[in-house]
Amino acid sequence: MTALGKLFLFAVLGFLYLPVAVLVAMAFNASPLYALPFEFTTHWFEELAGNDKLLAATRNSVLIAILTTVLATVIGALAAIALSRRRFRGRTLLRLLLLPPIAIPWLIIGTAMLVFFFWTGIGRGLHAMVLGHVALAIPYVVLVVGAGLNNTRIDLEEAAMSLGSTPLHAFFAVTLPLLMPSLIAAALFAFAVSLDQFVISYFLATPGVSTLPVEIYTSIRKGFTPEVNAVSSLLLAASMILIIIFARLTKVGGVSGRR
Amino acid sequence: MRTLVDRRRFNLLLGAGVAAGALGTRMPRARAANKITVLNWQGYGTDEAWALKLFAEQTGIEVVHDYFNSEQEMFTKLRTNPGAYDVALINSAWTSRIAEEGLLDPIDFNTVPNSADLDPLLRDSSNFAFDGKPYGVAWVWGMNGLGVRKDKAAGAQSLEVLWSPEAVGRVALYDDAITEVGIAALLFGESINDPKDMKAIVEKLKAMKPNVKLIWSSEDQWNKAFSAGEFDYSIYWSGAAGRSQKTFKLPVEFIVPTEGAIGWLDGLSVPASAPNKAEALSFINYMIDPKFYVQWATEVGAPASANAKAMEELPADDPQKLIHKTEYLKNLQFMSPMPDERRQAFVDAWEEVKAFYAS
Amino acid sequence: MSEPQSGAPARRGLSPGAVTAALVTPAYLWLTVAIFLPLVAMLVFSFLTAAPFGNRAVEFTGAHYLVFYNRPYLVEVALRSLALGAWTTGICALIGLPAALALSRAFRGRTREVLFFLVILPFWTNGLVRVFSWTMVLRENGILDDIVRAFWADAPSIGILYSYPAIVVGLVHAYLPYMILTCYLSVVAIDDEILEAARSLGARAPVVFGKIVLPLAAPGLIAGSVLIFVPVIGSFMEPRILGGTAGVTIGTVIEDQFTQAFNWPLGSALSFIMLAVVLVVFAVFSRALRGRLTLS
Repeated sequence: MTALGKLFLFAVLGFLYLPVAVLVAMAFNASPLYALPFEFTTHWFEELAGNDKLLAATRNSVLIAILTTVLATVIGALAAIALSRRRFRGRTLLRLLLLPPIAIPWLIIGTAMLVFFFWTGIGRGLHAMVLGHVALAIPYVVLVVGAGLNNTRIDLEEAAMSLGSTPLHAFFAVTLPLLMPSLIAAALFAFAVSLDQFVISYFLATPGVSTLPVEIYTSIRKGFTPEVNAVSSLLLAASMILIIIFARLTKVGGVSGRR
Repeated sequence: MRTLVDRRRFNLLLGAGVAAGALGTRMPRARAANKITVLNWQGYGTDEAWALKLFAEQTGIEVVHDYFNSEQEMFTKLRTNPGAYDVALINSAWTSRIAEEGLLDPIDFNTVPNSADLDPLLRDSSNFAFDGKPYGVAWVWGMNGLGVRKDKAAGAQSLEVLWSPEAVGRVALYDDAITEVGIAALLFGESINDPKDMKAIVEKLKAMKPNVKLIWSSEDQWNKAFSAGEFDYSIYWSGAAGRSQKTFKLPVEFIVPTEGAIGWLDGLSVPASAPNKAEALSFINYMIDPKFYVQWATEVGAPASANAKAMEELPADDPQKLIHKTEYLKNLQFMSPMPDERRQAFVDAWEEVKAFYAS
Repeated sequence: MSEPQSGAPARRGLSPGAVTAALVTPAYLWLTVAIFLPLVAMLVFSFLTAAPFGNRAVEFTGAHYLVFYNRPYLVEVALRSLALGAWTTGICALIGLPAALALSRAFRGRTREVLFFLVILPFWTNGLVRVFSWTMVLRENGILDDIVRAFWADAPSIGILYSYPAIVVGLVHAYLPYMILTCYLSVVAIDDEILEAARSLGARAPVVFGKIVLPLAAPGLIAGSVLIFVPVIGSFMEPRILGGTAGVTIGTVIEDQFTQAFNWPLGSALSFIMLAVVLVVFAVFSRALRGRLTLS
């Protein structure tokens, strides 16, 4: 049973990584049109090294994604705790309100933000981008943390409190460790949502300031080069290294839950 | 003749003086400006790094860009960002509509010396006119016509080839309502901007269903699918066809069908709220300069310049020169302004056709 | 933020209501400024003849909400989009739940943590670049065919690029990590002892799955389904690039209303109709689930 499970999970990972492998391979392929047969080159990495615009855009993307992740995870987790732990009037309404930001296409939300921010004087710039990115990430955080919270055991928290802990202490000593896997998952999603967010950045960035997805999407009319694959591959490699370091250093068993 | 020239020179001086005076008094920031913002498609001439470097060396003006991905986004950005842009690229089919909202400044050609060399048919196009004044400087033009694979479909003449049995499953259409409805209108010998019988057009386009393999929406997508051999016949942009041949060595041939192609004309305009109008005009002047155009067209690949002199200076074997023959201009129908309701009817027709293809 | 003390036994001087308010206010205030108010503006636009810019006269109209009546071909498009959402969500659930169980049962410690991150990592690459990678895999004589032919040289092409299934593959790939991870968060907390107790009492695997695992996984399945179904029915990138002529969805229609027709009112009316449909689907779905899945 365990062997079967392992095999299945590796098959799923194979599916998830198939296009990613292609993406990385094309960063090393000579054809600017992803044409085969494969012909090895490091040309696109050399081009990338001289492409200040793309590098600056990538840096902006990562910075905004980190900022978004921190803000959205904290704000979203607080709301998730209230929505799944507390019974109050209007809870269903608040839950339903999480759907419009996911359901309405980004193009429309982006246009609406552009118009509204223009009317209210919020304007464009980094503040507007972060405002938009965090708002889009919040529903994802709330839903993911909520899914985890539904199964963490309230009885443990209550037991701690009946043994004399303050609610705050009980939260930090018992609930937070239980929540950790959900928080990490939610943060990873928030990061992904922000890193791939195109419309908001594109409408709300100061002219001349750009992010990686904006560079990619605005260049498809004419065509983007495998430099984009090169920069994506580097991002991927950096993330993997970070994960390995993280896994080696942490002892808390971040995402493993109780065991 | 002499008096005419003299008057022109006089006007030029007068115009420049008035413009400089007006700008100097009304726009105090203008004098100190060394940076202008251009609103355009990405990778569409104005953001060529070598050109901006040269322009900065000549004038000391730095150029930054903001981009749009559709004409409506350009319009929206102009509406919601007053004071942000100094130059905007506008398809001439939209110029009068945008000028009508007071978002653009009329152009005084005397402040754009290179405009003297513009093809009069393009410079004086009624598309740029609103209330009797021009609101854009003709920059480049091109056509949407047949882009076919050389060894499979060379020598195609008529648009009917898209419906032919040999093209079954081998056609790529451009995802643009104005273009696709226009293609059918051309077949029926009607105006591309105001066809009489939309029902017949929808039926004609629906009849292409077995032939249509994909519907492309970006040059990138076209190039990648064509190079993978996914289709042989397509509706394609003339300027992009030259680029695909030159940059990617793709075996594509651009054909102006016997029924005609769909012409479009892009102009450069100065928003009414532009903070640096004088610099904006000097950038526009640089953009229509033959020197810039020839380098852009030969090294990168560009649509046809509206500047007749620039077209003459292209080498005789340049793909863009071979594709964009000046004699086409006389009969070419250009995309023109249309009322909102008619634009909606075009989009509805194309949407209905696409839904039919998908079903 | 002090609230009058109520008679209820409140700890540390804060009433439960105030705590709740303090917890939800930051999130919903943020959403209000950045999303709800802008969307209210769009909702108003959807009842106008045109977006209120410039100097043209604008009137109120409800006509945009008759869009499906006036354009009957869109009904089929909408149904296809809902079907696309259902297929994608269903396949994600069928793959995601077992994958989550495997991740939580078959691996331990550090390996499990690394695998957990590996599931989400593909997500950090650009969506558009990923979709273009899929075109290379799925096309006739593409990479998928190469892989198959490495084992069976004369295999016929199974290239499915430019078809409805190709869109589903692209969407499943784009959304599967949501389902795996939300399910994982639910099932990781299941006690081995409970499962063993059930087995020792003679329950067979399907029974254990149906009576214990599924109910406990339900919150994850539901959260994952929301995160997948809702955006998929409005998706337009995967359909456009992978679908060929099959790539017409309500998402692409809405996009065309914005970018080609410049008809914000109609585009937003379509979005709000779809939002209403989504809400109805979930209302019905959650009512049906309430009876079945909760442990009583």
